[in-house]
Amino acid sequence: MFRDRERRESAIMLAPYVVGLAVLVALPAAITFGLALTEYDLVRAPRFAGFDNFYELWDDTVFWTAVRNSLMFILFAVPLRLIGAVALALLLHRRFRGAAGYRTAGYLPSVVPDVAFALLWLWILNPLYGPLNLALGAAGGPTPSWLTDARAAQWAVIIMSLFTIGEGFVVAMATRQGIAGELYELGAVEGASPLHMLWRVTLPLMAPTLLLLLCRDTIFSFQANFVPALLVTGGGPEYATTYLPLFIYRNGFEYLRYGYAAAATILMFLITALIVYLQYRIVKRWRRAFVV
Amino acid sequence: MAELRFAGVRKDYGPVRALRGLDLEAADGELLVLVGPSGSGKSTALRTAAGLEDVTAGSVHIGERDVTRVPPAERNVAMVFQSYALFPHLSVAENIAFGLRARKVPREEARLKVERAAELVECGDLFERKPFELSGGERQRVALARALVREPDVFLLDEPLSNLDAQLRVHMRAELKLLHQRLGTTMVHVTHDQVEALTMGERVAVLGDGVVQQVATPAEVYRRPANRFVARFIGSPGMNLFRGRAENGTLHAGPFAIDWSSPQVRGRELEVGVRPEHVSVGGEGTAAEVRVVELAGSEAYLHLEVEQTTVVARVPPEQPPAVGSRVRVQLDPDRLHLFDHETGARLEA
Repeated sequence: MFRDRERRESAIMLAPYVVGLAVLVALPAAITFGLALTEYDLVRAPRFAGFDNFYELWDDTVFWTAVRNSLMFILFAVPLRLIGAVALALLLHRRFRGAAGYRTAGYLPSVVPDVAFALLWLWILNPLYGPLNLALGAAGGPTPSWLTDARAAQWAVIIMSLFTIGEGFVVAMATRQGIAGELYELGAVEGASPLHMLWRVTLPLMAPTLLLLLCRDTIFSFQANFVPALLVTGGGPEYATTYLPLFIYRNGFEYLRYGYAAAATILMFLITALIVYLQYRIVKRWRRAFVV
Repeated sequence: MAELRFAGVRKDYGPVRALRGLDLEAADGELLVLVGPSGSGKSTALRTAAGLEDVTAGSVHIGERDVTRVPPAERNVAMVFQSYALFPHLSVAENIAFGLRARKVPREEARLKVERAAELVECGDLFERKPFELSGGERQRVALARALVREPDVFLLDEPLSNLDAQLRVHMRAELKLLHQRLGTTMVHVTHDQVEALTMGERVAVLGDGVVQQVATPAEVYRRPANRFVARFIGSPGMNLFRGRAENGTLHAGPFAIDWSSPQVRGRELEVGVRPEHVSVGGEGTAAEVRVVELAGSEAYLHLEVEQTTVVARVPPEQPPAVGSRVRVQLDPDRLHLFDHETGARLEA
């Protein structure tokens, strides 16, 4: 009897989430799969088009540019974001005066609304009066035209992404705090250098969490560059910052090609799934070495 | 090998004084046990010896060296933690070799040393396993092997047995003693368990309130506690203590009155102590009622009520008096411990 009640209560408490998941995720996903096989411009009724959208994508150079841009973004942004999160975690995991302030500062960019964050960077990256180039110039460094040079624009989007690592930072910090302090005291007595402890103890013990963060961040990063690409670089110059989410958005909401955008969404989903699967395979092998 | 010496070591944590001037020496090759209740400063003392805590004042010496400002790695000490502090991701062999690898000892030399250390504590058959695959006793052995593989000057053991179950603890107690005899290295063993302290130590240092209350052989600490603190802490069940006063040829100790001719303590406020084995039951003496009977195998303990005061007496386990029965109790006048009521210091009668 108790079991039944518990089950009923669980079902009731789970219901809002399930409804939300169905209406906001499952249903649109199902519709997307349907739409991908149609031509639909919001004005005329959808027309069944078979795999035409996919054939067209195959020949669309802009689509392939977007795929390449997205993959390159992940290749650089994900490891750098992870390193940043771990570095912050290792710096700030200890208790010290002002720690809470530094931790808040580390997390804060992640809770700034995307649009405000993007507009802020539009100012920071301004080649003439932006603080970044003023600082670089004062230090005698290069002062790239962040928004008009293709390579520089790609780096600008990556650099922007390096500040929104709050969640990874918090998870990494919690993991680091979970490692027994006595292991480090033992290391001190045994004469292990800080670097030895980092490589031989801290990172291996954090590895399971870090690998999980890696997978999560890959999925996240595929989509995270949408707002900066739209507002800061506008996808350019010359498609240099047109990533898959922006490509899909433009086709859907600007060119009103919903079927085409849906087909691209499905391909993006498949690419993400493939990468996560590959990571999972690697992770599974690595994890065996770190089982605790 | 070397002796370990604390000279006036003080350690403050903010307003809390963990050590208030610790003077203590573990002789070269000695097994010294630091024992005390929690908060007595015994672990802090060990950690200052290891260099894991700075001292506020005073100095720590290992052999001829003043190591007060020397980092832990250069003190040539090895520490065994209560939790064992084994690296969960490393195998037993890698755990034992950790300090050697950190100090860049060549692989082959390290392997030989690890094998020798493992042999000493009999854990050679566990090499490939990870710590989570080991029992508590096996983890303990691995932690010991790791401590002795570097051949340190001093072993520092921080409650190494307290995570083991009772039977294994008794077994490991004996093994640790054997290991010490075999190695002959200076060993400082911290424990809160006074039975462990008495059975293991060549000498026992009783710590309380951040200072040494008494350092002596286990027998001395038990038979002649230097003060009330030691008298209370050492012994299980503990010593009976009564408020007392000696006047007109009689020593009044709680409900008891004892003929007393010694003039030394006349007129002073006293605390009179007597161990349960020196309380005799039966025959003559003060009337008492048996409230509790505890059988402990080779002996039995009676909790007696004498004029609203509880007295614990040790009796032979065969046919102890029944609960509720009335008996007569006497204290052995030659085995009384007298302490000054104010200072708690031991007084000689």
